[in-house]
Amino acid sequence: MKKFMLIAVLGLAVLFGAIGCGSNAPLTIWVGAESVEFYSAKMIEYVEDYNAANEKEFPYEVTVVGVDSSTSAATFLDDTDAGADIFTVPHDNLGKLIAGSSAIAPVMSDSLLNQIENDNPQSFLDVIKGSVDGTQYTFGIPYVAQSLVLYYNTAYVTDEQAETWEGIWEAAITADKYALTLTATDGFNNSFLLLSTEADTHNTSLKLYEGGVQEECYALGDDTIAKLKWGQSFFMDANGAKAPSDSGWEVELSDDISLSTIGGAWHYEAAKSALGDNLGITTLPTFTLTEDSVYGTAVAGTVYKSGTFADTKMFVMKKNSDKADYLEDILLYLSSKGVQEESFEEAANLPAYKNASTEFSAFEEDTLDAKLATAQVEMFAWGLPQPFGYNSKFNTYYYSKGTPDLLLEIIENESGDFSTNQAIIDQLTIIESLWKTGLRPE
Amino acid sequence: MNNNQDTYKKRNILSRFFSIFIYFGKSIYNKFKKFINRFKDGSIGTKLSHIFMGAGNIYHKQYIKGVIFFIIEAGFLALMILSPQVNSTPLGFKSIANFFTLGTEPGSIFLPTDNSMLMLLFGVICFGIIGMFIAVYGSSIKSSYKADLDVKAGKEATSFKEDIQALLDDRFHVAMLTPAIIGIITFTVLPTIFMIFIAFTNFDSLHPAGQVLFDWVGFDNFFAIFNGTGEISVRFGPVLGWTLVWAFFATSTNYIGGIFLALLINKKGIKLKKIWRTIFVLTIALPQFISLLAMRSILAEYGPINSMLINLHLIDDPIKFLATADSAWTARITIIFINIWIGVPYTMLMTSGILMNVPKDLYEAAQIDGATNRQAFRYITVPFILFVTAPFLITSFIGNITSFNVIYLLTGGGPTVPGYIAGETDLLVTWLYKLTIDQSEYNIGSVIAIMTFIITATATLLSYRRSKSYKEEDAFQ
Repeated sequence: MKKFMLIAVLGLAVLFGAIGCGSNAPLTIWVGAESVEFYSAKMIEYVEDYNAANEKEFPYEVTVVGVDSSTSAATFLDDTDAGADIFTVPHDNLGKLIAGSSAIAPVMSDSLLNQIENDNPQSFLDVIKGSVDGTQYTFGIPYVAQSLVLYYNTAYVTDEQAETWEGIWEAAITADKYALTLTATDGFNNSFLLLSTEADTHNTSLKLYEGGVQEECYALGDDTIAKLKWGQSFFMDANGAKAPSDSGWEVELSDDISLSTIGGAWHYEAAKSALGDNLGITTLPTFTLTEDSVYGTAVAGTVYKSGTFADTKMFVMKKNSDKADYLEDILLYLSSKGVQEESFEEAANLPAYKNASTEFSAFEEDTLDAKLATAQVEMFAWGLPQPFGYNSKFNTYYYSKGTPDLLLEIIENESGDFSTNQAIIDQLTIIESLWKTGLRPE
Repeated sequence: MNNNQDTYKKRNILSRFFSIFIYFGKSIYNKFKKFINRFKDGSIGTKLSHIFMGAGNIYHKQYIKGVIFFIIEAGFLALMILSPQVNSTPLGFKSIANFFTLGTEPGSIFLPTDNSMLMLLFGVICFGIIGMFIAVYGSSIKSSYKADLDVKAGKEATSFKEDIQALLDDRFHVAMLTPAIIGIITFTVLPTIFMIFIAFTNFDSLHPAGQVLFDWVGFDNFFAIFNGTGEISVRFGPVLGWTLVWAFFATSTNYIGGIFLALLINKKGIKLKKIWRTIFVLTIALPQFISLLAMRSILAEYGPINSMLINLHLIDDPIKFLATADSAWTARITIIFINIWIGVPYTMLMTSGILMNVPKDLYEAAQIDGATNRQAFRYITVPFILFVTAPFLITSFIGNITSFNVIYLLTGGGPTVPGYIAGETDLLVTWLYKLTIDQSEYNIGSVIAIMTFIITATATLLSYRRSKSYKEEDAFQ
């Protein structure tokens, strides 16, 4: 028995010692979980083309793995050596990836740089670059675009009503429902008021790290205060807007508790299953300042279009990958116009390609998928690319220092503490300080 | 009288404190003395063993043993001198230097940055390896010296086969405990030390490992609890307070509820006892997270409970019980109640077992002495249950301090406190999770982990040492 136990212990030791001995690592690509099949098929095609063109075998086995795009950067940074050679991230993750000496490699190939410059809108080109050691490089290769749109219940809200928050609100009062449930209260999904701009001029006084400068944040403009005051009236009304309950926004939509929600393409399937045939999709509505909500130079009757962060998902490359020689050519292919069009048709990925809405025939179809794509593209005109890629601090200060909750506290005004202009200004002063420094003012 | 007792206690604590130091001092002195004596008294082989491990064994023709010791020394020296790189970070003696600097190469876009986190980790591992090597080094000299003594006594030095046989026989505990101790050092002690060291650095979201160097900052992270307007200084007190309140109520309600239920089910005259027990045990049979998620859905703002209350016209608007509750205490009380439902069956099961094992003759003797049922319960049942369950009560309290599932799955720490990460129902451990996993604030997370450890260790030691279960551990056999 004792011998047996000793042998068992030694056997376990040998087993543990043997674990981890592996063969030559494959070239790994992380893509969004919803697109694994599509990009796996594309990589098979790529390897076949490579073999035919070069008359030799592609030197690595290729593995395409599905990941949660929103956390892929954090997963990569947890253990960069074990990370993929190519992986997908939202562009606002760029700051944390290039912090210090950067964990990702810059694009150096002229052909890929040319394709990026020629195929993408300027708003994307501005946010895929970053400075390391004082030199600016292009790090991201855009391939999917995303912005927030309105999902609404056509059984209660007409298409015309869906153009303004007041219209949806009116429908909600008639049906004794809520006009809007947010999908989440974070700084991304609840940004429609903060990022709204004048419908006629696109003007706003709000500044969020303008030009990639940490100090260039401004939240105390008269229009910002007026917009939040309008938001208070919307959120404090029994038929107005609300934060999601712990039942979840999907339940609230499907049970007709709320008539609309603001969401991205990643909310589409859930919205479809909640509303079925009654699902309507359009751009985010406008709202009009009332006498009660004016402040300073902001004038009653001014129409504001709700805003959104307009994002691109991009591929990036691991720094010092032992397969670096092959990565840029793969990315040239995966981000090409043709692959983006196929990706839209087969995997419903909104293309980052700048002329997609006019050049891709799938946009013309009368389907919900096409409506979603069109609404997202239209929202780009009202969208601000998240300016957090310049520096890892920006993302942390905007999202993680509690400012989204402080903003929600103003517009919900549950305690009544924010019924005065001064209280709103004081709270916005804290928010601005947190954006700029990560700290509350002393 | 009380003053005298207090003075005595203080003296007692002080003397214990010093006796620990004296014990360690003596122990080190004795080991050093033996080391010197073995060098002085040992054979030439033993003397050589001080430089070349295994030389003494080879001198006594214990070739296999000698070679093993020699290979260990050679391996150790090779590791230390060659400092092989793992993930571009050196182990060996370089890792000791790196442990103090935490890296000096800031890197560039084409050059890697020193990975401060790996340097800290490898430094700790290297100190661990050195510690283990010193232990093997000592046993090599001891082994050689033992062979000297055997030879002096006219016996032959033991062969490798005899040593192995001894390991399987007289010294079987050594054979079995060595892997366990190595495992504990590798997988528990070293990671804990690593975590403690992180609390003394600025390893946070602005210093990602491998991209930006981080550095030692002394006690700054601990001082941050008491200074400034940051998350840790503002939220530490409230979170700690709620953690202790939660642990107290979660433990006591489950304990009392479980005992009450067990007494009820075990009461004479109750029919279908097994069925009752089975019904209550069903919550244990289900995975806890499923029960918790089910409760969350049932109590949700638009869940069945609220729908029923609205349909019965008992309320007009749904009650927010959990993460979106208007008051922190609504959410907290709801969690405590749900925890009763989840936890009571465990105590009930355990107490049922204990009640069935209370010696019947105690009750008979009490009955003969004229004790009422209440007196029998007060003076026999309660002390018996308390004696047996005191360690459970303590571990349950500690378990509740670090209870992650209940809070995380029911409220996620909410209702939120505007502007801060820690919500109204966050415990130290769920806050720690958010700070590290969501926010990458590893240094502050380590401080909270250390504080949690201090609280739980102190509570455990104080309460357990004062319990009868500890003082009179042989009382019930």
